Amino acid sequence: MSETSTTKRNLARAFATTAVALLMAVGTVGHVSQAQAQASQPTSGGTIQLAVTPEPPGLMLGLMQNGPTQMIAGNIYESLLRYDTDLNPQPSLAESWEVSDDELTYTFKLRENVKWHDGEDFDADDVIFSLDVFLREVHPRWRPTVTNQVESIEKTGEHEVKITLKQPFDPLLLSFEVGTTPMIPQHIYEGTDYRANPMNATPIGTGPMKFVEWSRGSYVHLQRNEDYYLEGKPYIDEVYYRFIPDAASRAVAYETGTVDVLTGGSVEIFDVPRLADLPNTCVTTDGWEMFAPHAWVALNVREGVLADKTFRQGLMHAIDREFARDVVWSGYGTIATGPISSRTRFYSDDVPQFPFDPDRARELIEESSYDGETLEFLVLPYGETWTRWAEATRQNLEDVGVKVDLVTTDVAGWTERVGNFNFEMTHNFLYQYGDPALGVARSYVSSNIVEGNPFSNVTGYSNEEVDRLFAEAANAPAEEREALYQEVQELLVDELPVLWMVEMDFPTVYRCDLKDFITTAIGVNDAFRDAWLEQ
Amino acid sequence: MSFFKRFARNKGALIGLIILLIVVAAAILAPYFYPTSPWRMVTRPFLPPMAVDGYWLGSDALGRDVAAGVMHGARVSLLIGLVSTLTALLIGVPIGALAGYFGGLIDDALMRFTEFFQTIPAFALAIVIVAILQPSLYSIVLAIAIVSWPPVARLVRGEVLSLRSREYVQAAVVIGQSTPRIIFTQVLPNTIAPITVMASLMVASAILLESALSFLGLGDPNMMTWGYMIGAGRTRLIAAWWISFFPGVAIFLTVLALNLVGEGLNDALNPRLSQGEA
Amino acid sequence: MHLLRFIGGRLVKGVLVLIAIATLNFFLIRAAPGDPATVMAGEAGAADAEFLRQLREQFGLDLPLHEQLWIYLTDILTLDLGFSYRQGRPVIDLIADRLPATLLLTGAAFVFSLALGVVLGILAARRAGKWSDSAITTGALFFYAMPLFWIALMSQIIFSLWLGWLPNVGFETIGAGYTGLRRALDIGAHLILPATTLGLFFTALYARMMRASMLEIAGADFVKTARAKGVHEGRIVRRHIARNAILPVVTLAGLQAGQIVGGAVLTETVFGWPGIGRLMFEALAQRDYQVLLGVFFISSAMVVLFNLITDVVYRIADPRIEVGR
Repeated sequence: MSETSTTKRNLARAFATTAVALLMAVGTVGHVSQAQAQASQPTSGGTIQLAVTPEPPGLMLGLMQNGPTQMIAGNIYESLLRYDTDLNPQPSLAESWEVSDDELTYTFKLRENVKWHDGEDFDADDVIFSLDVFLREVHPRWRPTVTNQVESIEKTGEHEVKITLKQPFDPLLLSFEVGTTPMIPQHIYEGTDYRANPMNATPIGTGPMKFVEWSRGSYVHLQRNEDYYLEGKPYIDEVYYRFIPDAASRAVAYETGTVDVLTGGSVEIFDVPRLADLPNTCVTTDGWEMFAPHAWVALNVREGVLADKTFRQGLMHAIDREFARDVVWSGYGTIATGPISSRTRFYSDDVPQFPFDPDRARELIEESSYDGETLEFLVLPYGETWTRWAEATRQNLEDVGVKVDLVTTDVAGWTERVGNFNFEMTHNFLYQYGDPALGVARSYVSSNIVEGNPFSNVTGYSNEEVDRLFAEAANAPAEEREALYQEVQELLVDELPVLWMVEMDFPTVYRCDLKDFITTAIGVNDAFRDAWLEQ
Repeated sequence: MSFFKRFARNKGALIGLIILLIVVAAAILAPYFYPTSPWRMVTRPFLPPMAVDGYWLGSDALGRDVAAGVMHGARVSLLIGLVSTLTALLIGVPIGALAGYFGGLIDDALMRFTEFFQTIPAFALAIVIVAILQPSLYSIVLAIAIVSWPPVARLVRGEVLSLRSREYVQAAVVIGQSTPRIIFTQVLPNTIAPITVMASLMVASAILLESALSFLGLGDPNMMTWGYMIGAGRTRLIAAWWISFFPGVAIFLTVLALNLVGEGLNDALNPRLSQGEA
Repeated sequence: MHLLRFIGGRLVKGVLVLIAIATLNFFLIRAAPGDPATVMAGEAGAADAEFLRQLREQFGLDLPLHEQLWIYLTDILTLDLGFSYRQGRPVIDLIADRLPATLLLTGAAFVFSLALGVVLGILAARRAGKWSDSAITTGALFFYAMPLFWIALMSQIIFSLWLGWLPNVGFETIGAGYTGLRRALDIGAHLILPATTLGLFFTALYARMMRASMLEIAGADFVKTARAKGVHEGRIVRRHIARNAILPVVTLAGLQAGQIVGGAVLTETVFGWPGIGRLMFEALAQRDYQVLLGVFFISSAMVVLFNLITDVVYRIADPRIEVGR
């Protein structure tokens, strides 16, 4: 795809604001195929250098889920499915799949003639090992699904696997993304201590790219998988992921041609408009649909004035989210209206609205139990845009008479404090993973108030009705879920356990002669199956 | 010849003193010129200097007045520089003097103690201290002092070690002067010159260290400092040079002034020099 | 013989200091909030209690603190710096990978700054009070006074972006497959900007120190005596003043050499230089205890070594200081 940044963004925004999910899906599918039709024939060859930040701890995707690991290793490993930018499942290692009418059995027909990078054959045993053994033990997102929802995972043929559920679980079909369920080679890991396996240093997958070398502190080098099962693919010969720790230096590296791609998150967002004006430069916000990062201000609602709903509503009116989006985030992102991102399923804007209104905020705060105390705002240590945002938020709140002290710390300190509920207010953003049951409920249900885990329900919000609705919606038949999520959204937006701010964009900046680069819901993470370089 | 006359003979020192006085004045007068908080977003973001009346140094990424930041920043930056340097001197000078004068076991013990602090990479130690104590004005000053005193101690020790074997100190020992008296009247006065030179640079390096901590996200987020401003504006160097340039100029001028003054003090305080060549 | 016994004694004390430091570092780092498991959970964007428990068990963080310390110290004594579970490699390998880059960078910066600083200091001192003195001092100070990261980025913009003369980040051209001399030249080109930036920062210190020291010595009695005896002025500067004046500079330089790691963190970060300073900083942020302690240990050992060298040089240069107390 080779649209310019503006059309892409406008499209994304237009889609984001429409409430009719179906229309949205149809619209984008048509648009994608049109773009592909216009593109000329892919050509083989070329080297691509990408800036990725920070340097990941490792590339064994089953054991590590951080962003950089996924960006690189998502091209080495594969899962059963891929997802287009509307989250529709596409074939990957499974060439087809079937869901029974009672929504209890899922049968995956695996592709034949797939080989691991070391030459061994890939078959149903590897799938069983990955899903039922390896990932069940180590993967923090697959574990709850497989434990709570799955009855059995069986081999029904050399290249066929059947998953039986305990009850209907519609989001299951969104779990076969490479970061959630990467296929792990059984012949390498079975019976070993997974985390201590020396092969973790040289990952073996089935993906389009093979691991070559990792020069610590400099780069990871991947090479074209000659034996890839898709004829002619991949097209790119060599890929280098470079680790340049300073954001400003990364931007200069792009400008001088040292790197060809600034991956989402590796470029400071205020730099994007400037870089977008450079020749042969494309910018897209696509490729994050699976994650749909949702930013909010988390409030510790256990005690004190933050436990007061009226006060929280006052805060919501006080924060200028338009300013945040337009100035702090340089115009990228969509104003969030509630817990579910408009970019995923079941979003509804039929909820109470809290427009920026300092006068109304002052009234509500006056009414509330706020007594002039100073609140602590823990700054999210993920780069300077968050610091700027915290500063702007502090002023918004001080304008309506709420005293705020900013507190900074590093990632470890932040994770520790938030995980142990030792905070009053902080920014946070969480991935939605395509479905409220996978990525949204976890922040609000009382069963997930788990100390030590920063991605649990850290605010301490507890509401039986919310718990019930989320639980029912997760296991309801597909067509009944919408109504349940509508109800829970209305309830949560009135209660405001967190202050939803912005549905974030992580723009990817790349050279326009890189074609078919961002085509899936996880974007750069599995881009090199289809990407090619116009010669 | 009076001390000030000797000082004023060095024109550079005078210029430095004037700059320093201006900076101090800016620090004192900041609340009069800019009564509201320098954090306030008061205008359009990324306003170039002189583009709009009243914002003669432009505005930053959130529309805050850079001039207000520079003036308010003078207070915090100077404070951090001075307090942390004084703290470092209070630790370093006694340790260095005792170690150098007494030698032997005392020297060994004190120098091991100094080495102890010095062998840990200074910058990393500063980061760890700030990280443990949470970034705040106090933890930053403490961290800077803790990593800055060992060079003082070593410098003083080196000087004292050398002075101790000089004839006039040996003479004082022979005629039976008390040890504290020798240290205070014969030895320490002769170390003032190098200490002054070092202290002037230390104030500067404290300001710079604070900026480096800010750069890494470990500044006090409630204190507007020059280091913070440069760190925050650095990534916009190409698009909006003024955000980091003006606080940079402020740091440069302050550091320069401190050095010129230190040098003037050096000339004025060092009796041997002042009677020497012109 | 005296000197050898002095060195031997210092080495023994050095080892004791190192052990004490390892212990202090161990506790200091543990006092920081969070641990490697929380960091990895934070980065993963998803975690549960089981995930954290598994990581802590694997990292050995579930043992009592004193047991962890005991294990660490006994390992250190056998020169085993431990294993980075985060990166899945022995700490010594991680350090060995990065040390050459740092030594190259700091070595180049060190030689450059010391040479330039001493020369500038002598020039400034000889013209003390004149405008050229001020120009030299002020010029050198500029690179000291502007934050290093600002200078570094500015140099990238000027020499990489606008002029296109030099690469802005990295150790060498990746994927070019250069070998031999061609590779050395390529690394050299990448080295210029970081080494100059780092070197210029220290130049001001040396120039400043050298100048002050020169002026100090110039007033000393033995210089007056020499001058009274009619010794040629150039000879006075070289033999009498400069030789003595260089002592404090050597002290300072020796200390800087020991502080090799701390000084290079920012430079390595901005220029994407794959050195030990970045390794240290990243390990600190990630609470990768073993790596952090390992880097601290190695750099601490360096400081002990360089301090010893400094003292020996000091003693050889200034015979008035007694050797072998």
